[in-house]
Amino acid sequence: MTPTTQIPELEITPDAMQIFMFSAVTWNRHHIHYSKDAALAEGHQDIVVQRALIGNFLARLLTDWLGDSGEIRELSWKVVHSALPGKKLRCQGVVTGESRLGSRRILSCDLKIVGAEQQTIATGAARVELPGID
Amino acid sequence: MTQSTTPSSAAPAATELPEEALALIGVKKTRRVLVTVRDIKRFAQAIGERNPVHYDEEYARCSRHGTIVAPPLFCQSLTFDDVSPSELAPDGSPVELNVPIPAQRAMGGGSEYVIHRLVRAGETLTVTSQLKSLYTKQGKNGLLYFIVVETAFTDERGDAVATENATYIKRV
Repeated sequence: MTPTTQIPELEITPDAMQIFMFSAVTWNRHHIHYSKDAALAEGHQDIVVQRALIGNFLARLLTDWLGDSGEIRELSWKVVHSALPGKKLRCQGVVTGESRLGSRRILSCDLKIVGAEQQTIATGAARVELPGID
Repeated sequence: MTQSTTPSSAAPAATELPEEALALIGVKKTRRVLVTVRDIKRFAQAIGERNPVHYDEEYARCSRHGTIVAPPLFCQSLTFDDVSPSELAPDGSPVELNVPIPAQRAMGGGSEYVIHRLVRAGETLTVTSQLKSLYTKQGKNGLLYFIVVETAFTDERGDAVATENATYIKRV
């Protein structure tokens, strides 16, 4: 894991059940996440994947890559286009830098989620911590 | 990023934020929440995470954590207050977004999330939320109102566990 390392891509296709489950566990009762009629009335194409769930997809991209040895310390993301049920998402990342904090290694990463039509769904950045070699 | 307004007796300009909305900035609300194994297991299922460290006690005991731990962004499951449905806006959006601004249609914008450590099953966390800032931007189809909500999660010793600054967007 050195600078410019590509993080293995993660593909996720959220469905209506996942959107429902995420609303349930976060107690998010906003109707654009479960009522297609309401979502359409607000200008969306379908029920919408939650902002917070988008962040968890990026977190999964990182934890799948890090395994049990590393941890996410900071994760930020911005939703650019709505993610919709049944549409494949490709979560991607690249390591852009490395620093030291005592004996620990801190890696900086740029992240992105690309939709089925190649549109950018979200952009993000993260700092992850790995145990040092000392 | 807090936008201030110019007091005026005239009708507010389109980009002006109501004083009653700005007055909510910095007002803190605090709750305490017990985190259970079931909460963590369900959150992991909802995000599609299959690592047994989030639900298998035997596996978790042998892991470096020594116990079941939550996925990194688990505190999001504690962010929205479980107020009665009658206290929500007609669209059901979280009560944290109930800010008196002239816009109704809400959507998520982004987030800045800091993780100090993973949450463990069985601990009680204190959740403190506040409206951090309000600002407007001109969008393609009209004025956009940005609502930034900070939620801080601390443990029983008062140590920080995680902090999230989530941005929501409201349109007319």
